[in-house]
Amino acid sequence: MKKGNRIAACAAACMILSLTACGGQEETKNLIPKEREEERIVNLFSPMEKTDPDAENVARTASDLTVAMAEETLGITMEYWTYTAEDYQDKAYDEVCLDRVRNDMDDLYLLNPDTILTLGEEGRLMDLSGLESAKNLREIVLTANTVDGKLVAIPQEVVAYGLFVNVDLFNRYGLSLPETPEEFLECCRVFKENGIETPIGANRWWLETFVFAQAYADLYNGGDTEEEIAALNSGAAKYSDYMRPGFEFLQTLIDNGYIDAEKAYVSEAIEAERPDFLAGKTPIVMAYWGAANTETAYGKTDFEMRVIGFPSSRGQMPVMPMTGLAVGANAEHREDAAAVLDIMVSDEALQIYSETNRVISPSKNIKVDCVPALQPLNDRIEEGVYVLGSNAGMNVEQWGNTCLIVRDLLAGASVDACMASFDALQEESLNKQ
Amino acid sequence: MRETSTRQMKRQGFFLLVSIILIFSIFGTIVFSVSKKTSREMAASAIQNLSESLDLLQCTIEAILRSEAEFQELIAQEVAHADDPEAFIRNCNKNQTMSKLSLILAGQTEGISNDGQPFTAEGLDFSAGGTVAGLPISQSYLNYMGTWSYTIKCPVERDGETIGTLYAEYVYDAIDQSLPNGFYNQQATLYIMDAESQRFVLKPKGMGQRSAGHLNLTDFYRANSIQDTTIRSEVDECLRTGKNALFYHDIRAVHALNYMWAVNGGTIFLVGYVPVQAIQQEGRTVNQNIMIVVVSLLAAFFLCIGLYYLSWRQQEKLRREQESERRLHSQQLAEALRAAQIASESKTTFLSNMSHDIRTPMNAVLGFATLLARDAENPVKVREYTKKIMASGQHLLSLINDILDVSKIESGKVVLNLEQFVLNDVISSVDAIIQPMAKAKGQEFHLEVSGIHHEYLIGDETRINQILINLLSNAVKYTPEGGQIWFRMIGLKQHSSQYEHIRIEVEDNGYGMTPEYLKTIFDAFSRAENSTTNKVQGTGLGMAITKSIVEMMGGSIEVSSEMGRGSLFRVELELRVCEEAAGRQFWQQREISRVLAVVGNAEGRENIENLMQETGVQLDIVATPQAALEEIRGGEAFQALLLDWEDFGLPAARTLREALPDAVPLLLLAEFDAEGMEEALAFRRTEPLTKPFFVSAFRAKIAELWDETAGAPEPDEDDVLKGLHFLAAEDNEINAEILAELLEVEGATCVIVEDGRQAVERFQSAPPGEFDAILMDVQMPVMGGHEATRAIRALAREDAAAIPIVAMTANAFTEDEKAALDAGMDAHVPKPLRMEQLKKVMKQCMKGGCT
Repeated sequence: MKKGNRIAACAAACMILSLTACGGQEETKNLIPKEREEERIVNLFSPMEKTDPDAENVARTASDLTVAMAEETLGITMEYWTYTAEDYQDKAYDEVCLDRVRNDMDDLYLLNPDTILTLGEEGRLMDLSGLESAKNLREIVLTANTVDGKLVAIPQEVVAYGLFVNVDLFNRYGLSLPETPEEFLECCRVFKENGIETPIGANRWWLETFVFAQAYADLYNGGDTEEEIAALNSGAAKYSDYMRPGFEFLQTLIDNGYIDAEKAYVSEAIEAERPDFLAGKTPIVMAYWGAANTETAYGKTDFEMRVIGFPSSRGQMPVMPMTGLAVGANAEHREDAAAVLDIMVSDEALQIYSETNRVISPSKNIKVDCVPALQPLNDRIEEGVYVLGSNAGMNVEQWGNTCLIVRDLLAGASVDACMASFDALQEESLNKQ
Repeated sequence: MRETSTRQMKRQGFFLLVSIILIFSIFGTIVFSVSKKTSREMAASAIQNLSESLDLLQCTIEAILRSEAEFQELIAQEVAHADDPEAFIRNCNKNQTMSKLSLILAGQTEGISNDGQPFTAEGLDFSAGGTVAGLPISQSYLNYMGTWSYTIKCPVERDGETIGTLYAEYVYDAIDQSLPNGFYNQQATLYIMDAESQRFVLKPKGMGQRSAGHLNLTDFYRANSIQDTTIRSEVDECLRTGKNALFYHDIRAVHALNYMWAVNGGTIFLVGYVPVQAIQQEGRTVNQNIMIVVVSLLAAFFLCIGLYYLSWRQQEKLRREQESERRLHSQQLAEALRAAQIASESKTTFLSNMSHDIRTPMNAVLGFATLLARDAENPVKVREYTKKIMASGQHLLSLINDILDVSKIESGKVVLNLEQFVLNDVISSVDAIIQPMAKAKGQEFHLEVSGIHHEYLIGDETRINQILINLLSNAVKYTPEGGQIWFRMIGLKQHSSQYEHIRIEVEDNGYGMTPEYLKTIFDAFSRAENSTTNKVQGTGLGMAITKSIVEMMGGSIEVSSEMGRGSLFRVELELRVCEEAAGRQFWQQREISRVLAVVGNAEGRENIENLMQETGVQLDIVATPQAALEEIRGGEAFQALLLDWEDFGLPAARTLREALPDAVPLLLLAEFDAEGMEEALAFRRTEPLTKPFFVSAFRAKIAELWDETAGAPEPDEDDVLKGLHFLAAEDNEINAEILAELLEVEGATCVIVEDGRQAVERFQSAPPGEFDAILMDVQMPVMGGHEATRAIRALAREDAAAIPIVAMTANAFTEDEKAALDAGMDAHVPKPLRMEQLKKVMKQCMKGGCT
């Protein structure tokens, strides 16, 4: 066959194929897709983290991965409902949580320690102790989230608060990282003298961590913890006696201008202090563990950052409040929500979560290396040196109440007045009994 | 011509390239225009599409709000007609849409809610002036359930009098339930924003990225990097006037349409964005398909171009090959033409030369023949003229021989006649010819042989002779009187034990040659033309013939020369060794097992050693006569002694002769023209042996001494023909006459016949023994010599097979001789007939071994 003939034959074959391809008949059946089966939905209420245009929210990504795992396993769709206060005048997230749980607006909630305690006591949260994944939890997690014998919340990470310090600035002024309150004050003095107007970046939420570190350093790390808590619950000991040194310390910081109380009083967490810290203008801020991992907080700095514990008589002290995921006791999709949660806090999911977010896992079976900046904080926790920011075993809720009383201090109340507030709260709890 | 064609081709190529670029540009422009047009239309379509979708959402929400307002008016009417309006309110239940119903009676600041709690309007902000179906609507706020809500207030009128205000709180979640579960394949992001506070109050489920959340418009701008002040001011204007805004802005590097869509006259807005790709999904597919088609077309086009190019290249290659072949042919033709022209010119020149060269002796022949006729009576003059005629004839003959030889070689008809020969014979015969020539010119001729291992070789002896004679006679010719000529035969390292590798050098210190002449010396029909060499006669074919013969033998010839200093010709040949000829048996038969040689020259000793190796005879070779004497006196038994005459002379010969037993011969190795040997040769059993030493010569001498000469004396060659009667077939009358005369001079007689047939008939009719031999010309009319011979040999006569038939022909080459022998003849003598040659042949025939 000549070359020309071969080409002609190929062309003819292509044409026939093309015509065949064009000749497909349209289907005659009903083109509307089949009705989808009724979707199983679980509503999740959580705080909304503001997104940056070009930053990856690692924490959210980690959580979403576990949500996706649950959705895939159970065939459930998770609906996200969020709230974040626009400013200090807005309703706080915790307040909204209380309203929404009390009105059964959602199924699954991400709650702060005080809310957990309040709602747990009200009996509005489901007992999660029967979940398979609950068996994997560390003792500290179970202690912090058990109210009236019910496990009312399970976290995806153990939240540890610490001081985020700009090591370059400490080095520049020849300062070593402070261990005790006195050393901390000295550092602040040096910074101030060197032109750093406000050495500590603060917001209206997290100054209480200074108070907890000093208040409970001995209680959790030296004394007989259970006995001391029992004394507080019975009124034999006063919360105000524990809290006073921390409040006086804060007062000193305020009086010396190391904290801008007015600004802190109206500032939201991270949002207000982040720009100055990242710019190297503020050497010290306080934040939770995960903030060191995410670019939306302090995950990417131009200087050497380290996370240390708060100053206390026992040295640097991590403060660990327990946030957690809880299921509304009367939620519309209660069982599905519990099933979703069981998967979200399973070892498999927590492994992914911890690896992505590089946090301390609530499961005793999972250990993940932390970023170098967190090493000092991690070392202390590994040593077993920390204080709890919340403890469901204490009759007076700690995390929320202390936060509010610190706000009073910021607003100008005296330390004595603040202590009186604690006394009142203790009195109120004793009366309930 | 070619340059013009190349320029034209280049111009055509340029225009073709420009045309292709132009076509592609037009095609590209069309595709680009179509693509742009499609994009524009798609963009317009996308905007329209999105607007319609948002309109739909807007209408849905407005319908909900209207329904709520109308529902609230109905309730208000019910409340107005109730006996106890507050009790009525308390009895109302909340539902999914309405989370709280409250009533404040006219004139009071506090009312009651359906949950039984007291209610005040404090905290509700109606200042923005928004209404739904004429009823005021409040700003959005977080209600007691922790969800975003708004309140519509409605007057409660009874009998035209306002008795209170009915407040109904609605949650945005209710709107969410009426909205589709996402649009644009859930890629569109949608928020509901309260216009006054710019707070985002609802993110309907399925509307956009789950992880994204925005607090308010400022947060929306920040999170999506909407920093363009123009856009933001336009959006502000739209928010203020309650108009829609739609603009392009990339969200996280994705091209997106952003929107602010006013609902309910601008009290709330739909805010969000949708990737353009999500709206233009079909359009994008169409565009992709267009691109695929375009790319396919381009690919097909380029494929066609590629195929065309390949085909063109193949044709071009073929064309180039044909062109180069044609050019080569032309070149070859041109070269052939040039060669032919040169050859023609050379031959013209040659003919001119030959004309002169032939005419000169011919002139002499005819001139002296004329003189001969005139002076026939004067015997002295007759002899003189005859001698000159003979000399001129000989010269003429050699000219003719050369010419014929060249044309034979050139036409490839020459065949080498390979036979066993002895190197010594070659050297001896050459020496015998050249020595007298050199001597005649007063030149010194040196013959040197060294390093030869074998002297019995196989080759064409005649042609080797021809080579040597040519070279040496040239050397003699072109060397002035008193010059020197060296003839060296050097044995080189053998490449194979079966071949003797010989280098022949002929050197002279004669005129030498110019470099230009050196280049053409081996070309036929060339001759050094200058004042000196013109004195020398020759055909100029000698060197061409020599080179051709050497090359035929697989050898090489080279020459180096310098004007006025002489020339050196160097020929290298490899000749097969004739192993059987070593003749060990010869020595054994004569019981010669040991020979003593006394040679002063080391090279000479080595030469003798080399050559004697193959004889099997033990050779004791010493450098002095004293050493030889010691050997002899030591009781060693030698069967022969060789003494170098030039080295030691008469005294040594005498001493050694006396010391040797009588039976042992003393052979004196001496030059061809050695002098003063007479006394020595007078010694008993002492003989000369010509240098250079060759075993063959030594052997011959030994054979001679060992009385092998004892046989019948050979007839004197001069009388060989005497009394013989020949039958001669010769068609040329003159030649026949000359033949008859010559035979008569030699005492022989002959019968002449004119052709082959007559020869056959004459022989057939003759009685046996009448003729002693038949002389047969080859080319004759009627019947040729070969045919006649075959006929004679075929005759049924006893002597038909035995009678010697000798070919006489002007065809003097080896092939002619072979053809004659093949026809049955016994020998071959070339014309013109030389009686010496005929005598030699007849002598051989009579001995019974012509062939």
